[in-house]
Amino acid sequence: MTALLRALLSLIALFAALPAAADTHITARLVAESDRPAAGRNVSLAFVMKPEKGWHGYWKNPGDSGVETRAEWTLPPGAAAGPIQYPVPQRLTVAGLMNYVYEGPYAQIVELKLPAGLAPGTRVPVRVKLDWLACTEEVCVPESGTLGIDLVIGDGATNNRETFDGYRAAMPRPLGGEGRFAVKGDQLRLGIPLPAASDAGEAYFFPAEDGVIDYAAPQTATRNGDMLVIETKAGSDASAATVLDGVLRIADGKGLAITARPGPVPAAGSPVVQETPAGGGTFLLALGGAVLGGLLLNVMPCVFPILSLKALSLARSGETEAAARREAIAYTLGVIAVCIALGAVLLALRAGGSQAGWAFQLQDPHVILVLLLLVTVIGFNLAGLFELTSFGFGQRLAGAGGVSGAFWTGALAAFVATPCTGPFMGAALGAALILPAAAAMAVFVGLGLGLAIPFLLLGFVPALRRRLPRPGAWMDRLRRILALPMFVTAIGLAWILGRQAGVDGMVTGLFATFVIAAALWWIGARQAGGRPAAWAPLLPALAAAFVLVTLVPRAPDAARAAPASAGLHAEPFSEARLAALKAEQRPVFVYFTADWCLTCKVNEKAAIDRAEVAEAFARRNVAVLVGDWTNGDATIGRFLAAQGRSGVPLYLFYAPDKPVEVLPQVLTASRLTALAG
Amino acid sequence: MPRLALATLIAVALPAPALASATIGQPAPPFIVYDSNGKTQRLTDYRGKIVVLEWNNPGCPFVQKHYNSGNMQKTQAAAKAAGAVWLTVNSAGPGRQGFMNRTQANAFIAAEKAVPTAYLIDPKGVLGRGYDAKTTPGMYVVDAKGTLVYKGAIDDRPTADPADIPKAKNLVLAAVTETAAGKPVSVPQTRSYGCSVKYAD
Repeated sequence: MTALLRALLSLIALFAALPAAADTHITARLVAESDRPAAGRNVSLAFVMKPEKGWHGYWKNPGDSGVETRAEWTLPPGAAAGPIQYPVPQRLTVAGLMNYVYEGPYAQIVELKLPAGLAPGTRVPVRVKLDWLACTEEVCVPESGTLGIDLVIGDGATNNRETFDGYRAAMPRPLGGEGRFAVKGDQLRLGIPLPAASDAGEAYFFPAEDGVIDYAAPQTATRNGDMLVIETKAGSDASAATVLDGVLRIADGKGLAITARPGPVPAAGSPVVQETPAGGGTFLLALGGAVLGGLLLNVMPCVFPILSLKALSLARSGETEAAARREAIAYTLGVIAVCIALGAVLLALRAGGSQAGWAFQLQDPHVILVLLLLVTVIGFNLAGLFELTSFGFGQRLAGAGGVSGAFWTGALAAFVATPCTGPFMGAALGAALILPAAAAMAVFVGLGLGLAIPFLLLGFVPALRRRLPRPGAWMDRLRRILALPMFVTAIGLAWILGRQAGVDGMVTGLFATFVIAAALWWIGARQAGGRPAAWAPLLPALAAAFVLVTLVPRAPDAARAAPASAGLHAEPFSEARLAALKAEQRPVFVYFTADWCLTCKVNEKAAIDRAEVAEAFARRNVAVLVGDWTNGDATIGRFLAAQGRSGVPLYLFYAPDKPVEVLPQVLTASRLTALAG
Repeated sequence: MPRLALATLIAVALPAPALASATIGQPAPPFIVYDSNGKTQRLTDYRGKIVVLEWNNPGCPFVQKHYNSGNMQKTQAAAKAAGAVWLTVNSAGPGRQGFMNRTQANAFIAAEKAVPTAYLIDPKGVLGRGYDAKTTPGMYVVDAKGTLVYKGAIDDRPTADPADIPKAKNLVLAAVTETAAGKPVSVPQTRSYGCSVKYAD
């Protein structure tokens, strides 16, 4: 009997030396992904923890109370165990104290490096004294167990792969991009780059370090374009933190390992802006940029004509000093009033959580087309096709002269300037949108002030005014010349429209422009003939143009995940498919992406999903494989790890009979077409 | 009648700590609490002396680590020898783990041969929340001027294993010794470890 028992015991000892720590509220087991791991390689081990009902174990940062798991390894020489990797935790609040816990079974993974040069069949005894804390809502018990497993050096076959794939699925996945965080008073704001289309319904930030947030304070998560913004109460050490590590939970049991550094965080509902890290200087920088930008707007093709005409009228009027000053101030006020109004609209949209913003607008082909029509109309007006004498409140009021005329000219200049600010002022306005409302308003005022500076100078410095040339026939000529930059702007807008909506969209847009232009020509002819209702043809023309605008297709949804990559004929990635394609001697482009990876989505839109790339790839018969790691597919995870990567994006190119080429993480279309060249 | 006046005073005064916060270098939140002998204890009573606050829960294994090994008692004695006042605080709510009435608290002190100046009973958790106490054992040191100079763990070994005590640095004694010598506390804040304070819900 004892002999049998001893034999049984030794058998157990051979296969799983110490299977589980006994009599604990959380049972712990040590398992290996491979029972016959290869020498000199890593083998994944896992602590498989199973709490009794009502009991919980703790995450690495336990929250308001609790203790992390500790492992003391006893390993053969040359072997080394890595850190304990924790799955995405859950929250448990008891009497106002927040705990980061696991209330159900969980597994912690440790990578064990085996020494090289061990002969197959060598036994590798792995022992570990594990200390963990098991608690209910009422009591805590520090538990401990000595766990062990005897590995036998072999071929490395992973006989527990499926089980381990399950454990890995619960681990946070590394997010490629870096986040930003800002601490102001007792508020901590964290911005994490996450594509707008990705799912993050249950966003919560688990900080890796103590003291950066108040654990029990509520966290508000808002989506802001491609930025997820989390706001919560800062901890006492937050303002001194230079880096913020942690796990962003995006769904129950799913999370991303993130790192954030100090920098501006966009407000809820404002557009994403790429800003270099800046502290309190952001406001002054934005204000300075706004004034400078406003000043530069004066020479933009859409503003310059209006401004110079008004300046000339000021010079022409030969008014008194005081009247000139009054006019200059009135003009400035008009400009600033419109800027404030625009700012207020934007802030209102921002408060409403809408994705307002210049960059956003310019992604919409309909907005581009409306701008194209506007610029064309202004161009034809300057070219003399028709006159605005009886049309437009600004011109009419401006025509009235005096203070109110100057005010309305300013308002008109600022209003007309807005289309120009888009590509030009994006940064300063973007910064304005991440600033508090008052500071943002100041930026808009700065923009208006900058725009008004030249006119202010003309009003207050008579010498400048005297330098303006005498009025004459040359003014009409100048007006005609100023039409040219307008038309150039129109051509640029048509090009953007073509990029966004394709050739059909561009032609539709140009046709709308033609309809409007034809109507304006007719109006001009009627004006010349002195007809009373000269503007009558405009209405049907506008209606026709509107119909055409709506016909322009919307830009393709850039955020859609890749397997549908139309032009490229991408197939889902699998190692078998890759091997098969390589065997066929076909060049293969493999890329790995995830819905939550912003870099991936940007590369896909800017470089991969492009007609020229599709053409080049088709020409050389390049096969395309897409690995979607959105849900942390373990096969893909392993493939990434084999390439030395912990996450996405990863771009690989396999040319026949050549070593794999790892492409840079920031892709360009030309880089891809060159591959197929 | 004086009893009633006192009760009223306490009722009025007790919420005060909740308004303050326990920040290093700031005045420690004031309090008035009954101790296990039914006496009132105020922080201001000890102005001019160093005061150590120890959050206690006899049911917590991390507290037991320091009591069963005699480490907490030794620390209490050493702090008092350095001129400090030691106030042990129990913020467990009635019915929750570690809650004790006066008799039970005095029995605990006698059984453990503990030597605190007083054992404060805080069943509503007002003192505990005022100091933002989250764990047992959780330690605070207030200097003679009433300024908070240390908050955090008793030592630098966050385990429940008594074998770690000889290897650990006692951070509370270090803070008391440095404060008594008129020096700034070199480690003024640590992360306390142990069980959560079992506040009344």
